[in-house]
Order: sequence, then structure tokens, then C-alpha cells
Amino acid sequence: MKAHDTTGWRNPWFRKSILWLIVLTVGAFLAGFVLLPSVHSDFSAKGVWASICRAAGVPADWSFGAAPRQAATATDVVLDRSMGKEGSRQAVGRGATLALNCTMCHGAQGMSTSDAPNLSGQYPEVIIKQLMDYRGGKRGSPIMVALSRNLSDADIADLAAYYAQLPKARTAPTTYDEELPALVRVGAPLRNIAPCVSCHGGIDQKFGAPWLEGMPKGYLALQLKAFRSGERGNDSEAQMRNVARTMTDAEIEDVSAFYARKAGPRTE
Amino acid sequence: MLHARKLVLAHFWVAFIAFLGALVLGAWQMYIRSPLSTWINNPEHYYRSVTAHGTVMAYVLPTLVAMGFGYAISELALKKPLIGVRWAWAGFWLVVVGTAVAAVTMASGKASVLYTFYPPMLASPFYYLGVVLVVVGSWIWVALMAINLRAWKKQNPGEPVPLAMFGNVAGAYLWAWTSLGAAIEVLVLILPASLGLTDTINAGLARVFFSWTLHAIVYFWLMPSYIAFYTIVPRAIGGRLYSDTMGRVAFVLFLVFSMPIGIHHLFADPQVGAGFKFVHAVMTAMVSVPTLLTVFTIVASVEIAGRLRGGQGMFGWLRTLPWDNPMMLAVTFSFIMLGFGGAGGIINMSYQLNETIHNTQWVTGHFHLIFAGAIVLMYFMIAYELWPQLTGCAPLSAALVKWQIWLWFVGMMILSMPWHLVGLLGMPRRMAYYDFTHPELQPQAWTVTVSAIGGFILLASGILLVYTLATARKKEGTVVAPFTFSRTAHPSAHTPVALNGFGLWVAMMIGLTIVNYGYPIVQLASLKEAYVPVIPIGSR
Repeated sequence: MKAHDTTGWRNPWFRKSILWLIVLTVGAFLAGFVLLPSVHSDFSAKGVWASICRAAGVPADWSFGAAPRQAATATDVVLDRSMGKEGSRQAVGRGATLALNCTMCHGAQGMSTSDAPNLSGQYPEVIIKQLMDYRGGKRGSPIMVALSRNLSDADIADLAAYYAQLPKARTAPTTYDEELPALVRVGAPLRNIAPCVSCHGGIDQKFGAPWLEGMPKGYLALQLKAFRSGERGNDSEAQMRNVARTMTDAEIEDVSAFYARKAGPRTE
Repeated sequence: MLHARKLVLAHFWVAFIAFLGALVLGAWQMYIRSPLSTWINNPEHYYRSVTAHGTVMAYVLPTLVAMGFGYAISELALKKPLIGVRWAWAGFWLVVVGTAVAAVTMASGKASVLYTFYPPMLASPFYYLGVVLVVVGSWIWVALMAINLRAWKKQNPGEPVPLAMFGNVAGAYLWAWTSLGAAIEVLVLILPASLGLTDTINAGLARVFFSWTLHAIVYFWLMPSYIAFYTIVPRAIGGRLYSDTMGRVAFVLFLVFSMPIGIHHLFADPQVGAGFKFVHAVMTAMVSVPTLLTVFTIVASVEIAGRLRGGQGMFGWLRTLPWDNPMMLAVTFSFIMLGFGGAGGIINMSYQLNETIHNTQWVTGHFHLIFAGAIVLMYFMIAYELWPQLTGCAPLSAALVKWQIWLWFVGMMILSMPWHLVGLLGMPRRMAYYDFTHPELQPQAWTVTVSAIGGFILLASGILLVYTLATARKKEGTVVAPFTFSRTAHPSAHTPVALNGFGLWVAMMIGLTIVNYGYPIVQLASLKEAYVPVIPIGSR
């Protein structure tokens, strides 16, 4: 029987294929893990083993002993999906009682007659996050910081449950037509501004993004300007600061006026 | 002689009808983001369409073609009725039901995650279940191909397995191992999060698992076309296959090297170490070897045809080739697109050069040239070749077939060449609209218009394909000649035993995968920081 017709190690096809594969693999690994890192000082500074670990992607402290830089945190609130759940009737009842404190500015039913934001129908996780940010000093407002100081986590959840079940301050629903301001509809791709409707409802409603329709125009414009100047910075990934940074005054007016527009007569 | 005609026909029809639907979406996508139309008012509709186009073109069409062609090869090459026809039907229906479930979910806007479904974006669980059903259906095909080959080997001990069946089973094993990565990703990471059982997901690990599938799936798509290159093209143009052994070497090299190279899709991902990226780049270079072998062998086989027809001298055989034969045109077009696409691919796989084109329109151009161009063109030819066997019709009209493949070739070049150009200029892929009024973008606007024109030419070609196949009528008294595969130039050549089975190559495939993927997977799986909150799409 010829060697070519056997199976296993005696067959030259087997032997050569396996040996070549091993040579190729070992060679590639030596080049990728030893040779190439050795010419980069940031890889090779701590010796061969450290550079192999680095090439393998082992997480390591890159600060080389210097004190790690502590970045300022925008918010301490971690948005949890459970925050978006509907509250129990008891929670709504307790929330309604607590909400008596809020009526002076936010209206008896959560519909503001001043430039304070409407709260009726607001998503619960939005109210929870903003109250916690006021309480923790991540969002500034002399009134709200003082009022939130005495609220427990449970109080905040109850307030959120109460406001979430009130009817939304709905204007005409956002439909996608050419009349919408460009920033609302398509954003400004070259300035990295995403369209409003991709997070605040219309195309998608992202968790933690507030319901904006029917909000007082003065409030919206003030917040956008605060995001733009960095005065307000409790957006966890700076998403609103990045959007507002390149917006002009005219655009802020335009967008705020759009979201503040009053509902037409109900047709249904 | 084909016994399982209905089975094969069902696979091809569902594949091509889904294909035509996805083609309409593709043309619409090109139009809506070109300067010919205003900005799309709801970009979500664009992404919904991209998801559907990609899901059908990447998962449904090639899977059904590979399955249908695989069943046909099993009967035609082994000259035996297919074992397990009922199971094959069960697999077919799983694919059809999976496609329908995914299609309904996508159409209702609950799955606009694009067909690569990268976490932390998450679709409705029904989308993933649909994709899983398609894959499970194809696993039945894998098992049936292995069973049919084993039964034939038992009856023909020591005989060389026909080349078509050898490539077919290599493709099946490749797919079985390749699909495992995405299957693990979906079952272990994505579905629990999509069902709401967890609210964070290990996005880095999910991407690594997807890369396991993402690159090798391309070679699963490619297998039917390569089988056609080796076993149909030389016969159809009146030549001989230059080397049967070279075909086997190409197939087993695909088996070994197409799998452990997927991290070249993650060159810009920080969670994977630079060393592994380099190793995967090296292995990706190796996978060009079987393609170069194939190009050499098929060109040599074509040369034989030219010389048999009286061609003389160094290049004289080119003139005597049967240029009016649709298969001759098809293989030429396919190789031209493979050449451009392959050259672009070498840029993609290079760790350094990739930086210039990563996530740009170049990448879209690359895989449209290779897959939608070189490979899908051969899917058409496979269907045209099999149609008389499947329906009992006379051979299809050569004029219609030539029109169809000319349109496909021209359309694909017009579509994808501008993409390469603007990709180099930095145009990102997967954008619903571009601001053509911006002075820096305005000079590139014409390229998007040109691509849109290419898209419409492709749509016309797709309609012509379905028309040609649908109107192929059974003619009274037509005797369908039995199907044959290519004869080799050296019929008495000995087939080495190593190239007549898969044990060694499958072992090498699994071993190399473990070496190349083992550490990144274990490391990311144990890394707490890799978990990020999920972002459900269309949840409110």
C-alpha cells in the first residue's frame, strides 16, 4: 500500500498540511505578538510579557503609575428599564398628594401656565432622573434643588407614577412632512446633530428622552441655551450638549416654537 | 436524472422571488438617498428597508440556493435518489416560515437593526427567531449532505467522490461550523436581552461572535459558484477541467482558512487586541490562495476550450473562445468583478490600509462586487443550467440569458464603482441621506445618482431573470438531455485519499478557530466592563 493511500500521520498530505499550518500559525503569532509590538515603545516599555499581554488585549492600567484622571460625571443616575414601568394605584395616590407641592409652578394637573415645564403624561423615568439630578446637584435650579432635597427615592418614584398617568400635553402628532423644521426632521448631518424625532418621539422614543410636545417655548429655549453653554450638563453622554453646541439662536427659536405649538381642535 | 425536482424547484423559486423583492428595496434605497429625490422624511423607513434587503440577500437567497443546488448535486453527481427527502422538505419549510416571521417583524418596524444586528441595538425577538429558523432549516441540509455522501461512500468504497459533491459537502461543513458563532450570539446573548430577561448585553463579545460568522458566511455564499466554475463551466463552453485535484485543494483550503479570520471586521474595535487583529489579517491573506488557484485552474480550463476550437499561439485561443455562449460571458463577467472585488478585499484585510476605508461606502462597494456581482451572477447560471432538468423545458433562450447577465454585469459595475470612489473620499456607509447642499459634499452628489442608475439596471436584470425562468415552458416532445458535469483533462489522475474525505480538514478548521478565537472570547466573556445597557428599537 502506498503512503498516499493511508490515513493518519504516515500519509504525507496529513503530515505536511498539519506542519505547514503549525508553522504559519506560530509565525503569525510571533510576528503579531512579539516582533511588531517590539518596535512600538508603548507596547514594549514593560518587557516582552507585558507587550504580549498588550497585544492580546488584556485590560490594563495605561496610566503608568500616574494618578488616573477622574472625569467629571454628568449624572449619577443609571437609567433602569424598571423605571419606565407603570406605577401601582397606591403609588399614584401618594404621588398625587406629594404633587400638591408642585402645583404652584407646574399647574394643578401638571399643565404649566407659566414657563415651567409641563409634567402631565411625562415618561416616569424622565421625572425620576431629573429629580434625582436636582437632588444630587447635577442639575441646577435654586427652587428645584431645594424642593428635591427632602424627597426619598420612593417619593420620587411615586411622583413619577402620578404624572405619568395624567394625559399628555399632546399637540398635533408629529407627522413626517416637509413642513417640519429641518433640525426636527433630519437634523444636520454635517454638524453631527441628530434629528429631534429620532429620540423624542416621531421616529423613535429613546428611554430617558422626555416628551417635548406642548412644552412652554421659553422653557425649551432656555434649556437648549443652557446645554449649549454647558451650564446644564446632566445628559449622561453629553448627547444634548453636543446637539446644542452648534445650534444658532434662530434655530433654537425655531425648534422651541415647533415643539411648543398649541394643539389644534381635536378632530377625532 | 433528478427525482427531487419539486424540492429543488421550490428552493430556487422562493429564493428568486425573495431576491426580486429585496432588489426593489435596494433600488428604492439608492434612489431615495440620491439627489434625484428629496431627503427621506423618515430615515427609519430607510433603515427598515436596509434591514430587509440585507436579511434577504445575505441569509435567505444564498442559503436557499446552496440548499437547492446541493440537493440537485447530490442526485446528479452521486446518481442516486436523495436520502431524506421528507427531512429536506421540513428544512425548506423552516426556512420559509423563518423568512416570513422575520419579514413581518421587519415590515412592522420592530427590527430596524440592519442585517448585521450589532448589539446593543436590539430588535423584537421574532426577528431573531426568524433568522434562527432559517439557519436551523439549513442545518438539516448540512446533515442530509453528510448522510448522502456517507451512503454513497459505503456503496463505492475507495472510489473518488465526484468533485461537485466534494465541494458541496465542504460547503455544508463550512456552513455548519460558521453559523455556530452567530447562533451562540443570538441564543446566549441577544435573545435573553431581547426577551427582556436581562437589560445589559456584552456588546464586545457579541461582535466577536458575529465576526466568527460574518466573514466565513461569504465563503458559504461562494461555494455554489465555485462548484459551478469547476464542474459546469468547462463542460458548458466545450472545454475540459484542467485539474480536478486543484478543485479539491481549493475547497479544503476554504474549509480551513475561511473561518478563523473574521476579526478583520473588527479592526476598529477597541475590545480586541492588536496581536489577534494581525494574526487574523495574515490568515485572511491565506484565504486568497484558493481563489487564486481557482482563477488559474478555470482560466486554464477555458484555454483548453479555446485550443480545442483551433486557437493557436500565446493568446490566439482567446479569439476562438465561444463568446456567444452565455456561460462564457458569465464566467468572464464573474472573474472581472472577482478581480476588482478581490483587489479591494486585500485593502480591506490589511490592518493598516483598512483605516482609510473602514465603515465607508467602499465596503458596500466591495461586497456588492464580490457577492452580488461575481457570486450571484453564477447563481443565475446555475438556475439556467438546472431549469431544463427541473421543469422539463427546452434550454432557455440564449438571447434572454445574455441580456440578463449583460445587464447584471453593467448594472453592478455602475452601482459599485462610484461607491469605491466616494468611500476613499470618506463617505460613510449606512446613511439614510446626505446633505448635498453642503459645499464639501456637493461635488460628490453625482456619484450617488450614478449608483442609483446602476441600481435600476440591476432591477431590470432581476425582472428579466424571473421572467425568463417563469416563461420557460415545457415543449411537447422535448427530450431533456441528461445532466453532466465537466470532464477533466486527465481522467486517469489519482485522487489522494486526503482529498477524498474531510476528517483532516475539519479538524484543522476547528483547531485553528480555537487558536484564533479562543482567547478573545474567553477574555471578553469574563470582562464585567464589557456589558452595556441594551437599546431596544421601536420599543415605544
